[in-house]
Amino acid sequence: MSTAAVEEVPAPGTRRSTAWVLPLVVLVLLGAVWAYVHSLHMDSIEARSLAPDVVLTALWEHVQLVVASTLLTIAIGVPLGVLLTRPRTKRAGAIVLAAANASQAVPSIGVLVVLAMIFGVGFWMAVVALVLYALLPVLRNTMVGIRQVDPALIDAGRGIGMSATEVLRTIELPLAVPVMLAGIRVALILNVGVATLAAFTNAGGLGSVISSGIALDRMPVLIVGSALTMALALAVDWLAGLAERVLRPRGI
Amino acid sequence: MSDRPAPSPDAMIFLDGVSKQYPGQAKAAVSELSMEIGRGEFVVLVGPSGCGKTTTLRMINRLVEPTRGRIFIDGKDVTHADVDSLRRGIGYVIQQIGLLPHLTIADNVALVPKMLGTKKSERHQRAEELLELVGLDPAVYAGRYPKQLSGGQQQRVGVARALAADPPVMLMDEPFGAVDPIVREKLQTEFLQLQTRIRKTIVMVTHDIDEALRLGDRIAVFGPGSRLAQFDTPLEILSNPADDFVRDFVGSGAPVRRLSLLKVSDVVESSSADMPGTANVIPVDATETVHRALELVLASRAEGIRVGVAGGGSRYLDLQTLLIAAAQPTKVLS
Repeated sequence: MSTAAVEEVPAPGTRRSTAWVLPLVVLVLLGAVWAYVHSLHMDSIEARSLAPDVVLTALWEHVQLVVASTLLTIAIGVPLGVLLTRPRTKRAGAIVLAAANASQAVPSIGVLVVLAMIFGVGFWMAVVALVLYALLPVLRNTMVGIRQVDPALIDAGRGIGMSATEVLRTIELPLAVPVMLAGIRVALILNVGVATLAAFTNAGGLGSVISSGIALDRMPVLIVGSALTMALALAVDWLAGLAERVLRPRGI
Repeated sequence: MSDRPAPSPDAMIFLDGVSKQYPGQAKAAVSELSMEIGRGEFVVLVGPSGCGKTTTLRMINRLVEPTRGRIFIDGKDVTHADVDSLRRGIGYVIQQIGLLPHLTIADNVALVPKMLGTKKSERHQRAEELLELVGLDPAVYAGRYPKQLSGGQQQRVGVARALAADPPVMLMDEPFGAVDPIVREKLQTEFLQLQTRIRKTIVMVTHDIDEALRLGDRIAVFGPGSRLAQFDTPLEILSNPADDFVRDFVGSGAPVRRLSLLKVSDVVESSSADMPGTANVIPVDATETVHRALELVLASRAEGIRVGVAGGGSRYLDLQTLLIAAAQPTKVLS
């Protein structure tokens, strides 16, 4: 029996957690907006634009846009990323990655407008644009996550008789999860921001609050729209961080 | 080709004219290699890097597909058998160990039984038995993750994983290469003890001739150009190297190394029956190595050893006789 010392690895959660910082910032931000709105003497335009049901509807539309587009991005990006790391498709991987890179470089408002011209306006068109835009981080991180798995582990897996599918399921995917989750988190945050542009294609969201603030020349409306977008982005980032912690396989 | 050679019934692994030619390379990595490895035999493949020893090993479980030739395991031609089920019946240990970092030690050990469809409770019990077998307390280690273990402990787990489905054959690619020398020697000793109990057919690759001499029942010395220079027992390789390459590869100090391989019983014939009454003599078992006998003599400042022989009585060897007998390769029969 070996007497070599066992390295103690700190259990998750024993480090001082900083997870409470982000929600606090969000609450302070929301509190400040609320206090600001209530300190105002609103004219009728402002009152109409900032009526609770208007703002809440915009927020809800925004959340729907983000959730739908992110889910769709994952549903496309992860399987595509896995597919492009298989031995037979490795060469295609470089091409697809280059295309995804290029699509990321195109300004998002341009993508939205072009798609609106082709497919018309509305919620699902905006979702398609958001997916196109957020696909790159998910796709790239899935590929990077799988490629960075130690080849010795794959050799060991094949050597003890795992099929290629079993290697993917028991070795490659679990070990790629942290990198993949980081990509999904980036996609989520991107989507919260880009979804504000959906207002230009009549898909609603907080962008409509912002754009009416600009169009009507009402600073409070503009401020509320942007502050809520920021608060939503921070809240989503916080939630994604929690999810990352829960979903990350233990031991790595 | 009707009279192609077939493996003898004693052979566990039989390679028949196996070659591996990688596309785009002028020279074959392994060419026309034939080897027969007996049941329960521990064979070490040794040679300089690039000599094809690892390729040979990986062709046995077909991680490398041979270009030509046939591979038999336990009398069955497996050259075209289903690779996954073939490999599940062959233990595989590699230098990088390759434990899955996101699985506990018990789950790592139980990987192959899981693939074979063993029930969870049985699997866990099997993992605990195996951890015990390789000297790791299951109560302490079963629930840990690989990175919480030292390199030596991880390689014990690697060995346990290879043994999990009780395969008759084990392939080991420099299994002790990644641990420090002290741990390596300890692992080697323990592994030899383990092998006397489990009696697997083992093929191991190393570039370390000392490790080969220490562990192997037989050693296959590969020369440059994937030539099998000599395939024989450690003692024979030290005593009668087949050519200059083997002599050089074994290096200097062959006579001294032979001392650890020779048993006292090998040299007892050159002894005299009569023991000088005055001499300071210590008793030594005939199964000890000559090296150990010398150690005992030197440690107790004795002048010779007394060895019990079959049929009662004992023989006497003084230090001089012991050394001369050990230095004569011709006397060695085994």
